[in-house]
Amino acid sequence: MKSLLDHTQEINKMLARYGVKFGIYKNNEFKEQLFPFDAIPRVITHEEYAELEAGLIQRVDALNQFLKDIYTEKQIIKDGVVPENFVFSSSGYLPECEGVIPPKDIYSHISGIDLVQAKDRSWFILEDNLRIPSGASYPLIARELSRRASPETFHENAIVDNRNYHQMLRETMDYVNCGGINVIMTPGRYNAAYFEHSYLAEKSGAVLAMCSDLFVEENQLFYRDYKGKHQKVGTLYRRISDEYIDPMTFNKESVIGIPNLMDVYRAGNVAIINAPGNGIADDKGIYYFVPKMIEYYLQETPILKNAPTYLPFYEEDRKYVLDHLETLVVKDVAEAGGYGVVFGSDMNAGELEHWRELIQRESRRFIAQEVIDFLDLDIMEKGERVPRKADLRAFVLSGETTKVWASGLTRFSRNPDSFVVNSSQGGGFKDTWVLSR
Amino acid sequence: MGAISLEKVEHLYWLGRYTERVFTTLQKFFEVYDNMIDEGIQGKVYPKYCECLSIPNIYTSNKDFAMRYLFDKKNPDSLAGNMERAYDNGIVLREELSSEVLSYLQMSLDLLASAAGSGAPLFTLQPLVDDIYAFWGCVDDEVDNRECRNIMKVGRRVERLDLYLRLSYGKEETGKELSKLIHRIKETDIRFNEEKLERVIEIVNQDEIAKEERREAVRLVGEIVEVM
Repeated sequence: MKSLLDHTQEINKMLARYGVKFGIYKNNEFKEQLFPFDAIPRVITHEEYAELEAGLIQRVDALNQFLKDIYTEKQIIKDGVVPENFVFSSSGYLPECEGVIPPKDIYSHISGIDLVQAKDRSWFILEDNLRIPSGASYPLIARELSRRASPETFHENAIVDNRNYHQMLRETMDYVNCGGINVIMTPGRYNAAYFEHSYLAEKSGAVLAMCSDLFVEENQLFYRDYKGKHQKVGTLYRRISDEYIDPMTFNKESVIGIPNLMDVYRAGNVAIINAPGNGIADDKGIYYFVPKMIEYYLQETPILKNAPTYLPFYEEDRKYVLDHLETLVVKDVAEAGGYGVVFGSDMNAGELEHWRELIQRESRRFIAQEVIDFLDLDIMEKGERVPRKADLRAFVLSGETTKVWASGLTRFSRNPDSFVVNSSQGGGFKDTWVLSR
Repeated sequence: MGAISLEKVEHLYWLGRYTERVFTTLQKFFEVYDNMIDEGIQGKVYPKYCECLSIPNIYTSNKDFAMRYLFDKKNPDSLAGNMERAYDNGIVLREELSSEVLSYLQMSLDLLASAAGSGAPLFTLQPLVDDIYAFWGCVDDEVDNRECRNIMKVGRRVERLDLYLRLSYGKEETGKELSKLIHRIKETDIRFNEEKLERVIEIVNQDEIAKEERREAVRLVGEIVEVM
């Protein structure tokens, strides 16, 4: 391991050489930043992983059933497990997707589940990302470079090889393919995750396309090459949000979508990864109900726990939140990327009062959670090992079967006082080792 | 892979052109810089060079030229500016070219940034020449799609011929580049204007090229490939 840590700087240099960056907009200006890599890995033991894997598969399977149910029968609402109001008032619920069943009944093909590990090493789910979760490419390339930097580390430790993500992605795309090529659709190089779009296209053999390369004709989606030849698209792994994918169905102002794409999708002529409308299942308010969904759809006890969560929408929870605001973390259900998250402990008296009023006034807009005492992970900072908050984004791929990628993106905060680990807020990342024995 | 969109063809072509622009003008700069050593502060070598390349002479001295022409990214005609544009065209082609190929563009860009202000640019920029050679070697080795390689190389040959004509290279060198361009164009499926190509051949094959005809050839070279 020491030789791996000794090569941290070289690995970061190689990551820079390969353009491993993410984009960020500051003051209306686009900048590309390197994503700092810390070579001390997160290590998940074989036993821990077995539980994690089973829990993640269970959760994603239930979420996929929930999505199908919500856009068809709505039995879970009829049975009073999830309140109607919570579903239909969510910005993630898209009435345009009503009755549409995607190829092979799979809605969330690539799920990014964010977890933290408490000091007793038990795992808590922080949130589900079922729309366009990103981040798999970073540990994928970091592992490749780490193995080059310190072969003995990987020879001496029983670490599951994680360099199969693109194959898993390819299998998932192929499984739902409706006949035609696999395409990864990017909004372009000024998107925050552009490196990932292009890297996954390179590795999976999919064609990277922008909306101008794609068009709909006779209810089929086509890719147009420069000779004017049209190739049918069977799977579209789109890396743009639902609201922009089809200006004829969603946001009419969108210039990065494909007109009439939703017609092709409704007709079952293209698989869209992930399915439009998934936002209803990763709504921070719906998160509260996921353990109930597992019991409801699978008749199983949830293996992984949610972080203790309160819904101010319910009177009893609201009272608790207002009484204990100074010890809780409040999240705006409409925000992502570490935004819209406030800690009661950081607020002064005036701010606490302001938030209490806001929560009372817009109770559906927020959830509140107990602050989990994360298990800190060590990072190297100026030559010293120091503990920092870190989370794990696990990737679950649903194709013929549901599989967990034996790795994940471990993000850490570089600020010793911060719980926010998002790259857009200055965090770094680590490799995630799953031990094979 | 097989499908290349029109937009990607443009990026491939311009990646070839900008990479070559950096390469050839850097080689020429080495010569110009060497000549400037024997001049006073206000030289005559660089204004002539700017005129040949049809770039505005915004420089105030030999030293100012050496620094800003090489390293000033805000100057669209600088080497650093052209390298940025090569990178901009390359970065959207990762799955066609591979991360390995792109890494040479990144290294070239990083090298120009770290060498900025160097007092000995002939030394510090030598690795840039090496990186560009390696870039093309890597393209041949890593890029499986022959059409992609050929389109880039058409861009490369167009640019080199353009620069050789502007910089008044001799008939033999220019003719050799023209032959390479013709060979490369015929290897691709991109559309080209035969009439314009014929006229360029006619001009280049003359022993002495008149100033007006040289200008005409430069203009026509940029118009031979029609897909852009």
